[in-house]
Amino acid sequence: MFIGRRPGTAPLRVREGAVRGTAGRQRFDRFLAYGMLAVELIMCLSLFGPQPLGWFWVGSQVQHLTGFVTAGIGTIMLGTLASLMVTVALAKRVDVAWKLVRRAGGHEQEAGALERIFAISVGIAVIAFAIWFLVIQGPGPTLAPQN
Amino acid sequence: MGLLDYYKQFEEVDPEEERQKLRERRAREKATALEEVPDVDLSGTEWPEFPNSEVVNASIYTARGRVNGYPDRDAHRIRKVLAEAHEVEPEQIVVGNGAAELLQAAAFALLGPGDDLVTPWPSYPLYPLMAARAGATPVAVEPSPEELRAAMSDRTRLLVLCNPNDPTGEYLPAEQVASLASSLPEQAHLLVDEALVHFQDAEPPDAVLRLVDAFPRLLVVRTFSKIYGLSGLRAGYAVGSSLSTALLDRIAPVLGVNALTQAAVDQALKIGGAEVQRRREAVIRERSHLVDSLRELAVDVSDSQANFLWIRARSMSGNELANRLRERGVIVAPGGPLGEDQHVRATVRDETASGRLLEALGEVLG
Repeated sequence: MFIGRRPGTAPLRVREGAVRGTAGRQRFDRFLAYGMLAVELIMCLSLFGPQPLGWFWVGSQVQHLTGFVTAGIGTIMLGTLASLMVTVALAKRVDVAWKLVRRAGGHEQEAGALERIFAISVGIAVIAFAIWFLVIQGPGPTLAPQN
Repeated sequence: MGLLDYYKQFEEVDPEEERQKLRERRAREKATALEEVPDVDLSGTEWPEFPNSEVVNASIYTARGRVNGYPDRDAHRIRKVLAEAHEVEPEQIVVGNGAAELLQAAAFALLGPGDDLVTPWPSYPLYPLMAARAGATPVAVEPSPEELRAAMSDRTRLLVLCNPNDPTGEYLPAEQVASLASSLPEQAHLLVDEALVHFQDAEPPDAVLRLVDAFPRLLVVRTFSKIYGLSGLRAGYAVGSSLSTALLDRIAPVLGVNALTQAAVDQALKIGGAEVQRRREAVIRERSHLVDSLRELAVDVSDSQANFLWIRARSMSGNELANRLRERGVIVAPGGPLGEDQHVRATVRDETASGRLLEALGEVLG
């Protein structure tokens, strides 16, 4: 009744005549792939801290220059959204390149790693926020007022 | 190879690109297949098309029925239909597993060591073999009534005629057959093999068969292998005089013909009349056209009353001609195994096949 293979289980098909480099080149490519994964992780993590903070600074400048709170908040929201999209698009490109480098390094790499990297970065961000919120800056003053 | 090119070679192949490649490959294969011209085989004498599907279905229907039981050993239904068609009594007909089996059975019944079987030559290669199997001596003579009469002696027990003759296509009219039958030695029988009789247009198909009542020692054998296109089922019948029923009983198969064959033959006789007529007319028409065209080439071709032509190239042997035609995709039967190595036998089929034969002959003969 069911003819053919299940979706997503097709063997990896690369172009005919693909030739991998020397053992040294392949080792280099494997290390390069780790580096690219690190770049992807940094890009994703930047979505949960540095980029929003940067836009907060820009928004504050806009509010200061224009005198309108709405302009500042709008700048923060739109800027964060725009940089989110640009970052994800760039990360996706890095991920595609990562697959090629992994294959060049000797792995039969079928899928990208961006989804997992994004999930990991969310986890790291949540933990970091919890530590900051609960321990460093958050409810601390309320629970144990300094003054 | 540049750095980017090195990594790009590991890109996945786009599924649509892959499908496009497969489509292109299939198109190339189809184009190649269309360009190939298969050989045309004009070496056999059986009918080249499949039988009518209703005839095949009759056989299949029987095969799905009670095949654990024996068939009708006397083939009553077939004999009744044939008797009506030939205006004889059913007792004058026996049905066998092909005409060849009936001919061999007649040879066993009539011949013994020291007897002669006389036959014109070249002719159907089975005749000398069936004489040898019966312990008799085959006597091959020139294909003319005078030579045949001269060859008959007090040792002659059987005169066998293939009419129309395979491989020459010559036809002996009923008048001459009657003349031969009347000059038979007292102890001899005349067997007329009419396997190809439907292809002759010299006289009505039953002209010779009607002689059986006048000549009790005349036996006419026919087949369903040629114009009926049932070679694979092995069916034939013999018709004799009402005075020769004892001989007919002796040549009949011991337990008859199998049920599948009987069913197919019965159906072929029921519905096949128009188709037989169409095939007969097609062969006669194409044969005439082919003979006219061949006579414009450097070959000798005799008038044929069969579904083939007996051709001789003036400049080469039959074997060489057959080989050269084969190189050009036309397969004909070399005459050597058929009794005369200067000739080839080419089957008459249709306009396309005739065109291929004429073109190849034109090339071979320059």
